[in-house]
Amino acid sequence: MLGTRTNTDLVEAAARGDQDGWDEIVQRYLPLVFSVIRRYRLSSKDAEDVSQTVWLRLVEHLDAIREPRALPMWIATTTRNEALRLVTAHRRTTPVDPLNTSALDAEVDSAALDEELLRAERQQAIRDGLAELSPRHRELLLLLVVDPPLSYEEIGARLGMPVGSIGPTRARCLARLRGSSAVQVFLSAGRDMDVTGGERLDFSTVG
Amino acid sequence: MSRGVSDLTSARWDDDDALLTELRAALDVPAVPEHVVAAAKAAYTWRTIDEELAFAVLVYDSSLDDSALVRGEGPRTLLFEGDQLSVEIEVTEQSVIGQLIPPGPGRITLTNPAGPVAETDADEVGCFVLPRPGRGAVRLICRCGEDALCTPWLPL
Repeated sequence: MLGTRTNTDLVEAAARGDQDGWDEIVQRYLPLVFSVIRRYRLSSKDAEDVSQTVWLRLVEHLDAIREPRALPMWIATTTRNEALRLVTAHRRTTPVDPLNTSALDAEVDSAALDEELLRAERQQAIRDGLAELSPRHRELLLLLVVDPPLSYEEIGARLGMPVGSIGPTRARCLARLRGSSAVQVFLSAGRDMDVTGGERLDFSTVG
Repeated sequence: MSRGVSDLTSARWDDDDALLTELRAALDVPAVPEHVVAAAKAAYTWRTIDEELAFAVLVYDSSLDDSALVRGEGPRTLLFEGDQLSVEIEVTEQSVIGQLIPPGPGRITLTNPAGPVAETDADEVGCFVLPRPGRGAVRLICRCGEDALCTPWLPL
């Protein structure tokens, strides 16, 4: 279900009038919108208003997105601008809180936005890659990352798997995840993404 | 959060432990309430807005004006420009007060994503007053003779 359609497919579908394409864009990038908003410490009502404004604007902006890979950048930038506008408006109507400089810091730090964007893309690729795995492999990986962590004995008991085979299976699952088309697409795109900056080298060394 | 950033930027894809850490972070997505997801999906219904409406461009917003004279004083004023018709509004605590440019009578509709919330006539010189709705995004649709103008979404 996840990760089969690229941004290009989704933007084209949504611009054509396909609600499913739009819904998938929303599912895919709402976490990005909220991770950008989170930096501005807005109230949950304000956060919802920002989110709604971003999506309403995107509806009217779909035709203007000529390079669909620019979609997450457009979403992140619009979210930041709208959140900043609210923060600025609040600052004008309330006395300055000397302890709350986070918004000002964020204003000057556009590198932070690039990083956020890259992380969101990477995490989306990993989630999509996970969805490509077999249910059994996916289940093992999910058990390996639960918090608090489970012992291999507990994981083995849950999956009906000998404890000795968990280590080798774990390595195989991670290799599959790495080789999933979602992760591979992300890695190949990462090479010429301007925002990756210093990370470009890391990506291009992946064999 | 800052801890996560440095971990992730130095992460290596060929390292199993690092990849598991990435996976853990990837699954820790911000919780978005269901009604927010629904609202974002519903925004798409605005895709099929009336074709005859011209989209206005926001050319001035006092809340973005950094000049010291404006800063922090008076209600927020905004100017939206279209090809044939423009509209200037002032958002006070209770009202949205506006004027069509060029001045002339017309019909003004204030709408939120769910639909129209208030409607009124603009007088002979294009002036109108609408009750200010609650929070959230709104837009004005102004009709004046043959011309119809639709502002961008504006969060109040």
